[in-house]
Amino acid sequence: MAENILVIGGGPAGLNAATMLSELGVKVTLAERDLFLGGNPKKFKYKFLFPDMQPADNVVGELIKKAETSSNIKVYLSSEISDFKENGKKFDAQIKSPDGNEIKTFDSVIVATGFEHFDPARDAKYSYQLFDDVIDIKDLERMMGEGNFARPSNGQPPKNVAFILCVGSRDRHVGNQYCSRVCCTVSVKQAIELREHFPDCEVYIFYMDIRTYGFFEDLYWQAMEEHDVQIVKGRVAEITSGPDNTVICKGEDTLLRGPFEIPFDMVVLASGMEGGPQSSEMAKKLGLELDEHGFLKPQNVTLALFKSNKEGIFLAGACTGPKAISDSIIEGGAAAMNAYIYAVRNH
Amino acid sequence: MEYDENGVSIVPFEFKKEIFEEAKKDFRYEEYVRGCLNCGVCTGGCPPHRFFDFSPRIVLQKMKSKDPELIWTMMDEYVWACFQCFTCAMICPFLNSPGGIIAILREIAVRRGFESAKKVLKPYSRVLLKLTAYGNQLSPDMIQPDFFPDWGPHIGYASTDLAVKRKAIPMPTLQVTNLAWDVAPETMKELYDIFDEAGVFKIIEAVDPSLYEIIQDIVDDVRSS
Ligand SMILES: Cc1cc2nc3c(=O)[nH]c(=O)nc-3n(C[C@H](O)[C@H](O)[C@H](O)COP(=O)(O)OP(=O)(O)OC[C@H]3O[C@@H](n4cnc5c(N)ncnc54)[C@H](O)[C@@H]3O)c2cc1C
Ligand code: SF4
Ligand code: SF4
Ligand code: SF4
Repeated sequence: MAENILVIGGGPAGLNAATMLSELGVKVTLAERDLFLGGNPKKFKYKFLFPDMQPADNVVGELIKKAETSSNIKVYLSSEISDFKENGKKFDAQIKSPDGNEIKTFDSVIVATGFEHFDPARDAKYSYQLFDDVIDIKDLERMMGEGNFARPSNGQPPKNVAFILCVGSRDRHVGNQYCSRVCCTVSVKQAIELREHFPDCEVYIFYMDIRTYGFFEDLYWQAMEEHDVQIVKGRVAEITSGPDNTVICKGEDTLLRGPFEIPFDMVVLASGMEGGPQSSEMAKKLGLELDEHGFLKPQNVTLALFKSNKEGIFLAGACTGPKAISDSIIEGGAAAMNAYIYAVRNH
Repeated sequence: MEYDENGVSIVPFEFKKEIFEEAKKDFRYEEYVRGCLNCGVCTGGCPPHRFFDFSPRIVLQKMKSKDPELIWTMMDEYVWACFQCFTCAMICPFLNSPGGIIAILREIAVRRGFESAKKVLKPYSRVLLKLTAYGNQLSPDMIQPDFFPDWGPHIGYASTDLAVKRKAIPMPTLQVTNLAWDVAPETMKELYDIFDEAGVFKIIEAVDPSLYEIIQDIVDDVRSS
């Protein structure tokens, strides 16, 4: 009889883990909490992905198709793991879905429950939810995905737009000291998309450090050289309402202008990634450890990012920290390999 | 004192170092100076930054530099530009307190009787006198239309017939006009002991010797009564 492996979470990491295992002939149970597969890129309708602007459908759509068409993968949508017990070297899990409760025994488990977007309303200085024209990068991603690219307050094209980096990251006040890694590149990518869509619109990026690491730097240079995006060093201290239905960003340009107060038609907050309630839920249910940042803690951050503190339970994707889709997919593969080895040994 | 060719006094490096060491020894220092991202969010939220060449980011950066020369440049007028509103401390992502550092540096300037401290505190000598000699700050007889034009159109009326108006207040200790309330001599004596212990009288002696003498006369009178 084939091995049975449980994958929790159907984002890029979980989808790739499930698909690879299915190709090895493993019977995979894929439990996804949402009504659909694809994780955050699907939920927020990401349209084009950094670094090369390829359609998200080529990546996420492809992963979903493979998982859905594999006869070895049983997908449970709108489901949750309602009970979880160790059973010798194996695991008994109860999967609760609209079709009822099912208890199954698994040889190993992969947790790929991903991240949540930081809710910018938690940092009052940005006036998110107070002004319609203050949105964040996931809102903009969704607006672009839905082909509805305009000022939320009046449906008009914006004349100028400000991006504010590090919202909800690198800030002790909101409790997140870490860098969310992708938001610089996402913002630069979106700035380019805005400039292409509205050639008359001025785009500013307010930053503390631009972290378009590795080859992502190409996008940053393009933004300056080919798209004339204004890059200003300084964090915005306050957003207030301005004349003519604008929002004013107030801050210090630490290199050039000193104090500034600039009215914008639209402000886009680069909100970061958090472990979300699902990380602590998984930690509690499965007996895993959380790290000091609120993500699931790997056994060794360098040697074994894909292993949890529990034998037989493996981790993949953004549930262990902020990262790009490519990293999440790679980790899905690594976790699959390790979960397979464990399953074969104890089967 | 040493002077350069333009007759400007030269402050020796050793003295500047001493000032920095004094700031660093303050029990609040470690809490107020942590890392700094040079992000400028403190300065963006700082009210005086809009009007003066003053920036809490620079305050923190200069402290982090540990360079006594840089820190010395703030000891004159610079530290007095801060409103002590602590917006900076409320929004700094590192939880630094540039406003708190300013407080530490100001206290050094006052303790050591620096010229800038004397100049800034001069207009407050009346308040200082009331506060240290009697333990209260504003008194009814200080309400005069010339001093408080921003108190509205009734300030003129409010400043007349003070004695009668105060009698209308039922609290017995409030029926004085040269003080906010009548302070018992026992209370004053306790207060003087506290000021002695805390070094408040010494500070006043350093920044305003003539005010110090007036206060000491009152203190002596009360203590011997
Ligand atoms: C605005 C934004 C734009 C981005 N754009 C790009 C880009 O262009 N290119 C790029 O490489 N990366 C991009 N990223 C990063 C990318 O979103 C992540 O790397 C990727 O989504 C991580 O995949 P994941 O599978 O680990 O997690 P997720 O995508 O978060 O998927 C996790 C899945 O697990 C499910 N789940 C959670 N809890 C449970 C539970 N208890 N039970 C069952 N299921 C559960 C969730 O519903 C979800 O489907 C972007 C990120 C942001 C914030
Ligand atoms: S990736 Fe950029 S915007 Fe995101 S937290 Fe890091 S530095 Fe800030
Ligand atoms: S406390 Fe001083 S430095 Fe800080 S914001 Fe207020 S005025 Fe500026
Ligand atoms: S807000 Fe804090 S971290 Fe940012 S420049 Fe000011 S002191 Fe430094």
